[in-house]
Amino acid sequence: MELIEKLKLYAQNKDLSENQKNLFNSFMKQGFPTTKNEEWKYTSLKKIIAFDYCLNLKNSEIDSSLIKNYSLGLKNKIIFSDEKLISFPNVTGLKINGFSSSDCNSDEAFALLNSALSNSGFNISVEKNTVISDPIEILFFNNTKNGFCQYRNKIFVGESSKVKFIERIQDLSNSSNLVNNYTEIFCEKNSSFEYNKIQNNTEHSKLIDCLNVFQKQDSTSEINTLIFGGGFIRNNLNFEQNGSNCESNMNGISLLNREQFADNHTFVDHKKPHCRSNEMYKGIYLDNAKGVFNGKIMVRKDSQKIDAFQSNNNLLLSKYATIDSKPQLEIYADDVKCSHGCTIGQLDEDALFYMRSRGIKEKEAKAVLTYAFASEVIESISIPELRILAQNLLIKKLDVDLDLSL
Amino acid sequence: MLDIKNLKASIDGTQILKGVNLSVKAGEVHAIMGPNGSGKSTLSAIIAGKEDYEVDEGSINFQGEDLLDLAPEERAHKGVFLSFQYPIEIPGISVSNFIKTSLAEKRKALGLDPLSPKDLLENMRQKMELLNIKKGYLSRNMNEGFSGGEKKRNEIFQMAMLEPTLSILDETDSGLDIDALKTVANGVNKLKTNNNATVVITHYQRLLDHIVPDFVHVLYDGKIVKSGNKELAFELEEKGYDWITKQF
Repeated sequence: MELIEKLKLYAQNKDLSENQKNLFNSFMKQGFPTTKNEEWKYTSLKKIIAFDYCLNLKNSEIDSSLIKNYSLGLKNKIIFSDEKLISFPNVTGLKINGFSSSDCNSDEAFALLNSALSNSGFNISVEKNTVISDPIEILFFNNTKNGFCQYRNKIFVGESSKVKFIERIQDLSNSSNLVNNYTEIFCEKNSSFEYNKIQNNTEHSKLIDCLNVFQKQDSTSEINTLIFGGGFIRNNLNFEQNGSNCESNMNGISLLNREQFADNHTFVDHKKPHCRSNEMYKGIYLDNAKGVFNGKIMVRKDSQKIDAFQSNNNLLLSKYATIDSKPQLEIYADDVKCSHGCTIGQLDEDALFYMRSRGIKEKEAKAVLTYAFASEVIESISIPELRILAQNLLIKKLDVDLDLSL
Repeated sequence: MLDIKNLKASIDGTQILKGVNLSVKAGEVHAIMGPNGSGKSTLSAIIAGKEDYEVDEGSINFQGEDLLDLAPEERAHKGVFLSFQYPIEIPGISVSNFIKTSLAEKRKALGLDPLSPKDLLENMRQKMELLNIKKGYLSRNMNEGFSGGEKKRNEIFQMAMLEPTLSILDETDSGLDIDALKTVANGVNKLKTNNNATVVITHYQRLLDHIVPDFVHVLYDGKIVKSGNKELAFELEEKGYDWITKQF
């Protein structure tokens, strides 16, 4: 049965609030977006929504050794399996709860669907003037064959507080699962927030992820999206700067092969003056992999003295790999500095010969050059364990035996 | 060690080398001189294995093996080294990481384990001292933003680390000021043993004051038209290439 039919049945049998019913009806009215929708022009959901998913999840416990395989081994871990919160740490200054909410400020289909029907997620609140020095890992496991999961998450970062997260969504069923994740982050005055996403999922896994960051004055946020695998990935990353002197940073790597697909949609809304944004996305596509990048920067009329930078660089390492890249700048203020650049290219033949003449085999030379291409992003990762993981995932994906640590 | 016989090569249908013969023995230093466009850089690129050139005829034998059958990396593993006329910039990879990787790959091919980080660093330190290279240099990106002289010095640093049997120095003197030239030449001389050989490719006699050749060859229009000892270089400097080319 197609997903939309299944969702209809599921909603009928569920005890929904009036608000949830309205949200679900709004979703049903517009349905899933098609490629006629400008935001989905290069990303077809046809196959994704035609699949017969399982909406009644097993909610089973998972083996702790499996957790170890996908964890960075950090002290603080929040773990979900099949929409069930199975463990969370006790950290001073931090409140962690299970969560669900049907507040929805968006009319986007997946946001409506998530708000109407999600049952699970986290709510984290950092007290003011609190520095959480150990990063917190968040692991979402799917353990149900062809499972469809929705998580609704919220993070509140108190005034002058500082916190870092690493999120990983992992399928353990090796089946065609789909996750619709919706996360809202509220950064209070002078806070500092970092969120890292490791997306290295199985070949048939699919993900629709939406992360909305709302920043107050003097706050800094950084979102790193590290994609090393997955059947289908759509990341929506939105920043709303609601105070002056905000900084929004986003970095991304997409390293995809075979039939893998990833779409990064980012949007920075500069609503107040004297703010900054920095964006650096690097894409590397092998075999038949396909990538999409859409980076929108909006500078509102009275948002003077904005400094916005965007770059999207892509390497196509096969004849059949493709990338659709679309920078979008909308500037309504007259005293701003905005720059963007987009490149699509191949590895430099002269550099390859240079390396080979030094004894580095062709495959390894290509891997070193690919690493060099991605290194600006990898080396900017602030959590050492994560940086090493990213290096290792890159080396592993390029199927070489190299030690690039020095 | 190196035996080039009747080497003819072309690029995009244009013949560049028209029958080069050259024999280099262990312990020798050869200089190849010649005017622009005579095929000097083509010859060095073909020895190193650049695939843009088509070898039409002839052979290159290196220590009993047909070099033309080998991939560039295999030639490097066997001990061939080319110091590039225009070294390539590789942003994103540090000098130390690059050298560590090339050394590890060469050792792997020879069936050796990689050097321990301690031995590697000690080895680097010694070679840097030899070439008067400052420490901060190792963490800079490979050739990125290097001056011409720094790039050439980096080439000889790699040569010192890889310890090749046959080194071809393609226009290593271009872009070097006189002090840097002396340092680089001094490094090359110190790396010289009875078991390795050096081929110096240059326009000018200047470098040969510091790296003294046993043999000097003049390459003109794709052929070696004259060979002699180091006196030939002085004669060329004095009389110019016209003196040779007029005869053809």
